[in-house]
Amino acid sequence: MDKYDFSWRIIQENLPELINGLIITLQISVAGMAFALLFGLFFATLRFSQYRILNIVSNSIVQVGRSLPLFVLLFWIYYGLSLKFKINFTDFQAGALALGITGGAYMAEVFRGGITAIDKGQSDAAFAIGLNRMQTSRLIVLPQAIRIILPQTVNIYVGLLKGATIVSVIGVADMIYVAQYVSLETFRPFELYSFAGVVFIALTLSVASFAWLLERQLSGKSRRG
Amino acid sequence: MDNSVPLFDFAAVWSSRALLLEGFGIAMFCATAAIILAMIIGLFIALMRLSNSRILRAFAFVYTQLFRGVPLYVLVIWVYFGLAIVANINLPKIPAGIITLALLNSGYLSETFRSGILAVSVGQSEAGAAIGLTKRQIKRFIVLPQAFRIVLAPSGNQFVDAIKDTAILSIIGVPELMRMAQQQADLFYRPFEFYTTAGILYFIAVMGVTKLFTFIEKRMSRIGFTNSSQKLTNVGEYI
Repeated sequence: MDKYDFSWRIIQENLPELINGLIITLQISVAGMAFALLFGLFFATLRFSQYRILNIVSNSIVQVGRSLPLFVLLFWIYYGLSLKFKINFTDFQAGALALGITGGAYMAEVFRGGITAIDKGQSDAAFAIGLNRMQTSRLIVLPQAIRIILPQTVNIYVGLLKGATIVSVIGVADMIYVAQYVSLETFRPFELYSFAGVVFIALTLSVASFAWLLERQLSGKSRRG
Repeated sequence: MDNSVPLFDFAAVWSSRALLLEGFGIAMFCATAAIILAMIIGLFIALMRLSNSRILRAFAFVYTQLFRGVPLYVLVIWVYFGLAIVANINLPKIPAGIITLALLNSGYLSETFRSGILAVSVGQSEAGAAIGLTKRQIKRFIVLPQAFRIVLAPSGNQFVDAIKDTAILSIIGVPELMRMAQQQADLFYRPFEFYTTAGILYFIAVMGVTKLFTFIEKRMSRIGFTNSSQKLTNVGEYI
């Protein structure tokens, strides 16, 4: 193979398109996160239900959601489900849904972990002073649980952001997708993919350090970071 | 829907079972090889981060941040196509996939190992020093064996993630489970059946590994090896 001549100008020339791709990545990851919060909250609530059957069902769904690779989920929804049941998801919808299911399974665990971490004495005390179940959750347990849940939620978002890079395989026009088709025209795959990679690393690292800061801020000085 | 075609037809899946199982085997092989490599690299990086040398610490810090921040898709393309372009290193597909997964997981594991080592009480090293062990001996005989038991559960989680991540290696053409499922799904035009089957196989693998690590952990705690209060919780960092 001949020596490869680098030509970073290609990035500059295609910058608007690459940025559009990045915006789509952000959009799909945010949409996925919205689904994830919804699913997560729903299944976490079911796990605290007094009906054993609901506990078992939601537990199994969470287990399955956590065990399936995002990649498989993506293909299963986009090609499998759509074709079988004629649902015809757009690529964006399928991507957001797959991200939402994966993220939701993790979020359910985060919610559950946050709520169970609150000492039982807290809710006992709330009942003792005459608050009902609803008030106890809203006024006593949730505000404390948020401190545990919030940093982990941002971590889940980081995971979804990284996961969102693979949605180009079903044709979502994200940054990788743009890099791919521009490199087909210009034969500059290395520069384009590297640029996309560096941008993604910068993005995930900045969100991750935000989570880290949040954790330090919320946990106070009582816990070792 | 066409009446002549049954809604669900898993006969095609059954006829391709040999290929799917081969893919499953390759996926498990890649994940296992990658996690072993990642544990070795991760341990070195963790020790570097805890060393006295500022340069080693800085290197290890950048290393962990880099590989924890990079999406797998980008990394696998860099390792497989990028290295070929820039350095003229043409790795075969499976080794390229294993190296990619190992690099990615070593970033996470080094952080796990570091906190595992830090979780071993200082009194242990002090006691080691008191009976006249050298620094090296303290690390080897006192701290690391205890840290190993603490990091067992998080390492199991990492193994699970590595198994799930093998699916992405299909992008560079590693003939693992997802790749096989894709090919067969296109061949028989039965994506739902093939991807469902692939999903079930991944689920079985993940459950198996989870159960295995829970079992090992239980065994160790029964003979007094693990201290549950030292266990690390690491929900949420991995997808």
